[in-house]
Amino acid sequence: MTLLDIIDKNLVIVPLTSSRRDDIIADLVNLYADRKGLSDEQRQYVIRAVTDRENMASTAMEKGVAIPHAKIPFLKKSAIVIGISRIPVDFGGKEKSGIFFLVLASEDNPTEHIQILSSIAKLCSSDIFIRMLSSSRTPDEVYQLFFD
Amino acid sequence: MSDKVPFSEILVYLDGSESSMSACMYAILLARSTGSRLHAIYCINTKALGDLVKARIFVSQEKTEYLADLKKDAERHIRHTKKLAESRHVNLVTTVTEGSPSAEVSHYIKAHGIQLLVLGSVNMIRSRREELTSETDRMLRTSPCPVLVTRDDESVWQMFEELD
Repeated sequence: MTLLDIIDKNLVIVPLTSSRRDDIIADLVNLYADRKGLSDEQRQYVIRAVTDRENMASTAMEKGVAIPHAKIPFLKKSAIVIGISRIPVDFGGKEKSGIFFLVLASEDNPTEHIQILSSIAKLCSSDIFIRMLSSSRTPDEVYQLFFD
Repeated sequence: MSDKVPFSEILVYLDGSESSMSACMYAILLARSTGSRLHAIYCINTKALGDLVKARIFVSQEKTEYLADLKKDAERHIRHTKKLAESRHVNLVTTVTEGSPSAEVSHYIKAHGIQLLVLGSVNMIRSRREELTSETDRMLRTSPCPVLVTRDDESVWQMFEELD
């Protein structure tokens, strides 16, 4: 399974309006939880897992991209939630972040998780791709960018 | 026209996906029917792991945890593949390696005189972005020997079940 297999236009937030790290994580997780029908307990588990990982070291990279992620034991399939913020926010990195890829990984397939994270990292090394992603106005535009 | 089969050393690439299991079954069928020797390779993608640490997406503790998970995954799949081959009386040479999968497979092909590489299904072309090319796609493009791409469909499983 590749990145293109798990990207879902129903799991994209444009624009993200929160301005604090923990609120952004909650926004991204809540969208996933609502779409996939997670229980409140599961929702809280995911938020805690992602936040705990961020507390170890921020996943904010260069070019204003952050890739918060966690392994979730009750997930059958890996998932990505994409969020684009118009105003870059402090996500704990050297520079502020405006593009967020929340990657939730199933524990069953570590190879797949590595491949997905690696594809996102490679994509985000492209200045043009980042510029186009930042200027996307709708989930459809974000989704389509990956398939161009 | 010669009726000699043009290969006697087959390599199947395993990555833990269902399509690679179909490829494995197909390769067992092929080895059995042609009397070829079958090799199976599983490559732990330490290149990607290293890149994720460099990009600061992974901390070193995560790298260690994932490496352990990937090694367990590799052992599990190799064990399963051995059982499948044994069940159909096919000798299997197995290798677990680390690095960049497409480079490791290419290296193995050259080092062991492999004449046919069997891969699970490759991806449909849905994006022109080179960054989204999968390892299987890369192997198809860079293999030094002929490649056979299997389809992950019921008929392979059925043929495998029917073979004594």
